Amino acid sequence: MKKSILLLALTVSAGVLFAQKKTTTSAIVKFDATTPADAMPVAENKTVIALLDTKTGAVAFEAQIKGFTFGNAMMQEHFNGEKWMNSEKNPTSTFNGKITNLGDIKFDKDGSYTAKIEGDLSMKGISKPLTGKATIVVKGGAIHATSDFTIKLADYSISNAGGKLADEPKISVSSDFK
Amino acid sequence: MMATEGNKKKAILKKILVVKLVLLLAAGGVAWYAFTKGFDDTSAIEADFTVNATPFLNEFKLNDALNEAANKKYAEKIITVNGRVSSVEAADTTLNLKIENPDGAYIAFAFQQKDQAAVKQVKAGDSVSIKGSCNGASFSNILGVPYVTFKRSSLNKIYKN
Repeated sequence: MKKSILLLALTVSAGVLFAQKKTTTSAIVKFDATTPADAMPVAENKTVIALLDTKTGAVAFEAQIKGFTFGNAMMQEHFNGEKWMNSEKNPTSTFNGKITNLGDIKFDKDGSYTAKIEGDLSMKGISKPLTGKATIVVKGGAIHATSDFTIKLADYSISNAGGKLADEPKISVSSDFK
Repeated sequence: MMATEGNKKKAILKKILVVKLVLLLAAGGVAWYAFTKGFDDTSAIEADFTVNATPFLNEFKLNDALNEAANKKYAEKIITVNGRVSSVEAADTTLNLKIENPDGAYIAFAFQQKDQAAVKQVKAGDSVSIKGSCNGASFSNILGVPYVTFKRSSLNKIYKN
């Protein structure tokens, strides 16, 4: 009887410790569209929702466009405006994808792993395929994931403001899953 | 006589040029100010609304959908929110605070850099008063709940649990 209770307790704890679907509401997305002529189009959103399913390899992000904060008030207004992100009409940007080399990543073993990711990035009501790499660091059961990639503004019908914005801004994503 | 009239014309032209130059400099200054102006410290801005977290979150729900009227009312406004912190979350090297309703709907606050030291003093269960710029509400397909986020928040007060 005691043995069964112990076994049940161990199973429940393992389930909690190694829950497959890990989420956070404090992932960070940084956006850098600076050019040699303009150093101001840089923003970050620190309240992004992220998901990592360690069993299926599913990866997802949801970011509110109005959650991006700039150092400059006018730049932030333009970012949310119709020619750029049109946040009134398209309030969120999402990514839905998966890790394609899931077998190479040991979520139960401390280490640094390179994940290959494929999915679809939706912005301004337009969805485009996106492939890239992420670094996943596992330490003591906690998972830290980062990824850097570029997007083409033209793919999402975003004006580059007469050359003031980089045509291919850099995007950085960082999230801590526990 | 001719020379005097010529001098008068030159003087008028000179004045016009000076006025134009002053106007040009002033316009340039206004444009430079607008292009480089940052955000004021949120703690120094008067709040448009002061709300309690639970009824505030409930205001964004309309049956099973988001209440867009509430989004229009609150988005991009400076709001003081009073409520109990359900969790403190690390966002890279900074901290976010989260106030969650029993049904899973939540408010997440990202803070100004200058408020980070104060935010470190907050623990889950503490009651707080936070002023921030509201980004409005969205529905999360990942979590299956509505949520509201704030940026450039400032911690007004902590009521330790």
